[in-house]
Amino acid sequence: MPTISIDTFFACSLMIILVLAAMINISRIVYPQINNEANENNDELFSEISKYILLNSGTPSNWGQNSQLTPETFGLAEVNAEVPYKLDIDKVSRLNSENIYSLSYGQIFTALKIPDVAFNIKINSLFETSINLTSTLEETNETIYTFNVVTERRGIPVQTELKYYLIAENFLKTSTVQKSNGAISFNVTISNSINGPAFLFIFARAKSNIKIVSFNIYSFEHNSAKPKPKGTFLRLSPINYTLNVSFQSSNVTLSKAYGLTFNHSSILTQITKNNNSATYRIPHLLDSSPMLFAVTGWNSTTFFTEWTAYPQIPLETGMNFSEAATLSDVFTYTYTVTINTSLFECIIQIGGVRDEG
Amino acid sequence: MKGENEGQIRIIEAFLASLIIFSSLIVSANLTVTQNQPENNYLESNGLQALIKLDSDGTLGRYIDERNWTAIRDSLNLVLPAGTSFNLTIYNEKGQLIGMVSNGGLNSENLVSIEYFCASQSSIFHCYILHLKLTVAAS
Repeated sequence: MPTISIDTFFACSLMIILVLAAMINISRIVYPQINNEANENNDELFSEISKYILLNSGTPSNWGQNSQLTPETFGLAEVNAEVPYKLDIDKVSRLNSENIYSLSYGQIFTALKIPDVAFNIKINSLFETSINLTSTLEETNETIYTFNVVTERRGIPVQTELKYYLIAENFLKTSTVQKSNGAISFNVTISNSINGPAFLFIFARAKSNIKIVSFNIYSFEHNSAKPKPKGTFLRLSPINYTLNVSFQSSNVTLSKAYGLTFNHSSILTQITKNNNSATYRIPHLLDSSPMLFAVTGWNSTTFFTEWTAYPQIPLETGMNFSEAATLSDVFTYTYTVTINTSLFECIIQIGGVRDEG
Repeated sequence: MKGENEGQIRIIEAFLASLIIFSSLIVSANLTVTQNQPENNYLESNGLQALIKLDSDGTLGRYIDERNWTAIRDSLNLVLPAGTSFNLTIYNEKGQLIGMVSNGGLNSENLVSIEYFCASQSSIFHCYILHLKLTVAAS
């Protein structure tokens, strides 16, 4: 073979390798940009969907208050809201699976009328309140419990004003307001003549803004067995300013039902009662605070307390994206929403179905 | 001999061509791609919402009247999504600077700026011009 042919073959091979390498590199550079453009379109679309959910009241507009209604179109906004992103307290409560009138994911998906889109809605307080029982000192006539309460947002301390209510058998104790720089310890004294289990309801109100309130509940043994998990004896469903109590056992006898906010506590008035359920009237309070309910009673001879919040938060409904392998392009949108007069955090995750083609 | 030289020249040409094309590829791959930030619209909406929420009951105007910058900073820290850095500059109706509130440095290039007018609800009317600059804090 002449040398020129070898040279030409070598040169041609080099050119082919060069062209192939160029094509690979160009595709590497261009692909992320094309993909990014598609993501931007999805982001814009999903952002609009999340706003639609929070700014629209749905149809019929009173689907939250009327437990018999299932929305034809989905939206959480309060009707004639004076500020944007103000949500209806009952529509929010009906997203919580603890509520007997809650909507299933399928019902919400159908009412949203947007196919090929999966979503997840979380509503929480704007900051977290955690409670720890650090020590117990049992004396002759009383027991002193020491609690440590931490208020923080994503690990950053939040200055708050704290107030607690302690509930046990025929016993309600209210504290004075205490100031906290993010962590505080205090003692709670309970007479040994009182039977538990005892429940400590804590409200923490941000010092910088009274509309930002967080809460938490801590149950502990006091002259009693270990408290049973929430929902063992009763299922509480607040809706349309009525607290529906469904008995989970036939041996349940109700005692007092308390309504608690940061500034007020009251005993709820029973409206109806039968063998399986009871209803209580929820007072309309102007207090800028979520309302907590504690319903006490006996299951045979065992004293119990069940609780819930109104709006019924924290809540999470919809698709669990962490386990959703068939979904792509999941976007998260965080909003500060108003429910009644308090502020909460609403996180909406929306994802599209992966295009297999 | 002439033919052999032609072959060598082609190889040299190919090498030169490959050198030029590869170097252009390397340069183009390292160029900063300017992209639209969809995050910015979202941040702008959040910032505006935060100011509206704080202003809806007159709290924001009252804090400015009282020059309570700590309360404004703490409120914004709670109302804005976690990981948001902000810088709020407040001017009076004459355009004079009366206060600045910040929760850290705004180092990112992707800044969002919002202008907001706030009227205090006190007995003496005051109007304030607020410039809120936001960015997502680097993790």
